[in-house]
Amino acid sequence: MKRARRLLVSVLLATSALGALAQGASAFQGVVWSNSDSFSYRCLGITDTFPQQLYSMARSRMAALGYGPIGGAIGPSFSSSAFLDTVLPSWAVYVHSHGDNYWATSGWPRIDSAFLQDPGPTRCSHYKTDAVRSSAIKTATLGTRYNLVIMSTCRLGSTLSTMPGAFQIEKVKNNTQREFFLGYVNATYDGDMLRFERAFWSYLSRASGPRRTLYRAFTYAASIGGYDAPDAADPFQANWWGNPTYDGRPG
Amino acid sequence: MRFSSAIRTTLVGAAVVAALAASTSQLTAATLVGAGPGPANLAAPIVNQPATIESPLREADHPALFARAAATRNAFGFPVGSSRVGLHVQDDIQGAAYDEVTEVNSSGQPMAMTQFNSDGSLLDAVRFDSPALTLLVLSSDSATRTALRALTASGMAPSGQVRTEADQSAGGWDLHWDRAQAGFTVRGDETRVHVWRDGRIQSVARVEHKLAAAPIHPIGRAGALLAIVRQLTAWFGAASSGYAIQTMDLEWVGSNAAFDATRIVAAAQPYKLAWVANVRPSGAASESLQLITLYVDAGNGTVIGGDVAE
Repeated sequence: MKRARRLLVSVLLATSALGALAQGASAFQGVVWSNSDSFSYRCLGITDTFPQQLYSMARSRMAALGYGPIGGAIGPSFSSSAFLDTVLPSWAVYVHSHGDNYWATSGWPRIDSAFLQDPGPTRCSHYKTDAVRSSAIKTATLGTRYNLVIMSTCRLGSTLSTMPGAFQIEKVKNNTQREFFLGYVNATYDGDMLRFERAFWSYLSRASGPRRTLYRAFTYAASIGGYDAPDAADPFQANWWGNPTYDGRPG
Repeated sequence: MRFSSAIRTTLVGAAVVAALAASTSQLTAATLVGAGPGPANLAAPIVNQPATIESPLREADHPALFARAAATRNAFGFPVGSSRVGLHVQDDIQGAAYDEVTEVNSSGQPMAMTQFNSDGSLLDAVRFDSPALTLLVLSSDSATRTALRALTASGMAPSGQVRTEADQSAGGWDLHWDRAQAGFTVRGDETRVHVWRDGRIQSVARVEHKLAAAPIHPIGRAGALLAIVRQLTAWFGAASSGYAIQTMDLEWVGSNAAFDATRIVAAAQPYKLAWVANVRPSGAASESLQLITLYVDAGNGTVIGGDVAE
């Protein structure tokens, strides 16, 4: 009897949970994650303020595009498990961290791109323990499509990057699905990311004027110039893949 | 996208049912929302961030602006729309104000856009269509000649050496003419042109900041090096990291909030002459940071900003 009652309660709770999740999915959740402890006074001797600036702007502008609720975190709560556990029900994903195109565990020549989770309050980053690899994300996303993915990191917009595929975004510029991936090609100054993303979000934020699309926002942000480069081998270049006519709104 | 939405809902729902079936006695709120050790933070408030405010500009009221936009469009070979939309934009996201004219086709789609400063100088001009499919291989020399012709036609002939970069995203070439003043580079200031592989110009931008007076007795290289080493020792002394100064040059730079959060909301100031040092970290810092760039005021030796490549 006790067992039957427990089963009945479980079924009722499951039904309720499914209803809540369906609502959550239809509410178009977005997530914004930013690694700040890697760039803190404790780890570097300086406090890099860019992660907070980029995080705050992305949360605000993603919400303005229509995504919500906006989850994610800046700092220690940006763990690999938190990211992987919450990526499936999300429609838009933003990450600011260190990123690179690492060798896959099977070794050269396969690449398994990754960004670094926040290392937390007691240690500093190491890619062996902190890398969130595209292969793990691919497993967690279960073939689901995503509207907007922004990797505000170095190198994940390079043609070598396997990160778009983790979100089922093909590396083409003529897709007709409602999807868009944005990343940076080379080692990139945070100041340049801030300049680029300000222009990108600014173009999208207009309440009036002609219809805005993510491609036009990207094209505008890339056109404004004024970007520095860490060295001659790493000129500032952003890149995108996806649908050139998509306006970025969820759904 | 409805299909995808249904899949997403079903998949998440199925995961919950599986979890319930596996252990009905371990039903917790954490299982229901799929939260791991790090909370998704869904309840965190969205802090108000800067936005843009637009005011419409009609051609009848601003004929000079629309004439300037048309001349710019023609000089760069941009498409002519069936109508033009003018806006004055108070852009607090970028920290700028400008007038903007967009060429719009008969379907209401933007084809090209020009932005001007309040003094009428060009900020940015960009077309929004795509390059033609071509097997042409445009050389950087050809791209430079095309850009110079168009810049001259628009009254923006640049001076100095051109810097060229192949563009991985749009194809073609990015051409940069960096600005210098009194023999020193103005960091980020430039005339930039993007030429597609098909030989057409996609965009032109001019970035130019006001400059403060140069210090009468700027700190020399040796003095600047001392100031930078002192700063780096103070910073990295407490961390398990080292540093190596790669380059040190005098440049005009804008002070910024890179290492000082109190400056985030500070109004932009004229650019100052500063020693710009590129520093390569080693040890723990190098796991997440590739380069630190420091701006050291050439007048008083204080750090006024910089940048990082993570």
